[in-house]
Amino acid sequence: MSAPVSAPAQSRQLVLDRIGAATQSVRKDASQLADAYRALPRAYIRRGALSAAVRIELMIERLREYDAEVVECTPAALPATIAAQLAASGKRTFAAPEGLPAEWLADGFTWKIDRGLATTEIEEAEGVVTAASCGVADSGTIVLHHSPAEGRRVLTLLPDWHLCILRASQVVQTLPEYFDGCQQPPALHPSDQDLSLGTPALVTTISGPSATADIEMTRIKGVHGPRFLHVILVRDEV
Amino acid sequence: MSAAVANHPVLDPTLALPFPQAALPVLRNPQLRKNVAHAIDVIQAKRAKLVAEKTDWQELRSAASAIRMHAIENLGAYLEEFEAKCTAAGGVVHWAADAAEARRIILEILREENASDVIKIKTMTSAEIQLNPFLQAAGVNVFETDLAEIILQLGEQEPSHIVVPALHINRSQVREIFARRMGLKDLSDDPQVLTAAARTYLRQKFLTVPTAISGANFFIAETGGVGVVESEGNGRMCLTLPRTMITLAGIEKVLPRFQDLEVILQLLARSATGERMNPYNSIWTGVTPGDGPQRFHMVLLDNGRSSILTKPKQRQTLKCIRCAACMNSCPVYRQTGGHAYGSVYPGPIGAILTPQLMQMHHAQSLPFASSLCGACYEVCPVKINIPEVLLELRAQVVNQERRDLARFFDPMYLGLRIASLLFAWAWLFHTSQFMGRIGIRLFTRKDGWIHSLPSVGGKWTQTRDLRGFPKQTFHGWWAARSRQSSPVSSKEAK
Repeated sequence: MSAPVSAPAQSRQLVLDRIGAATQSVRKDASQLADAYRALPRAYIRRGALSAAVRIELMIERLREYDAEVVECTPAALPATIAAQLAASGKRTFAAPEGLPAEWLADGFTWKIDRGLATTEIEEAEGVVTAASCGVADSGTIVLHHSPAEGRRVLTLLPDWHLCILRASQVVQTLPEYFDGCQQPPALHPSDQDLSLGTPALVTTISGPSATADIEMTRIKGVHGPRFLHVILVRDEV
Repeated sequence: MSAAVANHPVLDPTLALPFPQAALPVLRNPQLRKNVAHAIDVIQAKRAKLVAEKTDWQELRSAASAIRMHAIENLGAYLEEFEAKCTAAGGVVHWAADAAEARRIILEILREENASDVIKIKTMTSAEIQLNPFLQAAGVNVFETDLAEIILQLGEQEPSHIVVPALHINRSQVREIFARRMGLKDLSDDPQVLTAAARTYLRQKFLTVPTAISGANFFIAETGGVGVVESEGNGRMCLTLPRTMITLAGIEKVLPRFQDLEVILQLLARSATGERMNPYNSIWTGVTPGDGPQRFHMVLLDNGRSSILTKPKQRQTLKCIRCAACMNSCPVYRQTGGHAYGSVYPGPIGAILTPQLMQMHHAQSLPFASSLCGACYEVCPVKINIPEVLLELRAQVVNQERRDLARFFDPMYLGLRIASLLFAWAWLFHTSQFMGRIGIRLFTRKDGWIHSLPSVGGKWTQTRDLRGFPKQTFHGWWAARSRQSSPVSSKEAK
């Protein structure tokens, strides 16, 4: 019925042999390969030139262009600001990652803390509150590395409403600045001013709510991911 | 051999009509042309605006081009590094030499999982290997989850674009498909309503189907990570909720290091959809305890790619990051849409990729489906010189045909052989030019235009007129001009 198929190990060798033969003339050893990689041209902009204040303004503007709701507050006012946002949402039941600071869990709401919640329980939550790892102002992107305060990936996916807490000191201007942060080992203290994230095993970047333009290029908000993204920007910069 | 069984036409380059014939029905379908033109006009305008605001766009392109070329020239080393890292992180890496093997590997995994249903993230690579009809024939129900792919699957249609595969279908056609297949009688044609219908249709599938199939926009040698770029969140659903994830990726999609994404991601969203960043990017590394699928299979597909690598001039084809900017900018694609290319990869990139994946045994008409205007090269975020590869492939097709004895008396090749003789000697050229000018008068109408020519000449006059020859040839004009000026320059002109 079908052509004879080779054993898995044979296919691996077959493909690698084909590639080896095709690239014979440019073959390199490990150190030559590293040198060639280092020599690649990278003349694009690494660091943005905006001041901290303008950078944060840009982040907020970009988020609002995506229809995200953004409010600002001081570090001291954060718990009260979270409570106000939750109250204004009109929702009662919220999911939260296990590592979310206890003072963020405002009184008067039903909290589902994720210590291995079943999918159906997360699906029943009306909203979710999490921290974030980084914000990229150029594109209004929020980066999650799914640390204990950011939660499992499913947590920020099923609830229709996502409140994300982002500190101003986590906001960089350009995407390369975020990737530079990933080259640094993770910070011991979350308040360190330099973004030190380490290379993550899991990354989710969020740039506005779930959307599609598959029907006549008309942008529709809210397909499968959360339809509503709220951001509290904590002005913790010096 | 194609193991695929389909109840609707499949974009199979081994069966497709030559491009000029395949394009005819589209050219006669004004609705389809309108749908295609509208969609690409919208993307083009958004892209142009966002590219213009990037002051380092050309530097990003140069870096991306160099990174991608470095990755494919050192493909073996980077694939082995990826395999080691992915395996260490709990993934299982499979190698598929061709489409049949990839289909078999995926079916075997599904059998091990006792999977009767599978949910899918949009992957053009799975369309390349005709995976869906194969799995359906083997008794597995396949559920596409990208909105465009649902439209195509329920409407039993084929993709016509690699980023917005259903762009040839308008809202009222989508309404008709959804109403019929989802049993929703009172559906309106508002895209908001249609999107909501798809959300409802899929929600239960996401929550209950334990096995998913995805493609990959890239995978990273340094970390063993794999990435999917998307907008809707269906990708995140499939990457998070199921127990088992199977990812199918062409071997060329490897990136050396995690940091290379700082270049690729900036270029991809702007080029593909005209956004600063697409709503969601997901990267995962093997298996993460307690988060997402606990079994991860990565199927690395060759299927003709390593043969492209053997040709130094052509291997740049493999730099492609599948953004579709080339088809959006192509004047030919704009008129014909994607189906005329007879492959899941249409447009300029398809015109060079498909015949090469077929190792020049099929799709030989595609390198000619271009005006060589160069717009595709100009917009390409990884600087693939598509016109250069098109010319290279055209030369190969012509050489193939010339070796074919049956074509010895083919009027075109006969004419070209005679022409090469005439061009070799000036006196022969002038004599034949003189004769030809007399001959061509027979076909030149009073209005100074040639409206129809016999034989191969007719291929030109079928679709456009040809201006009649002027009274004076260039040579004649030049000689006359020289006689009027200084004797020195007239000497030079001789």
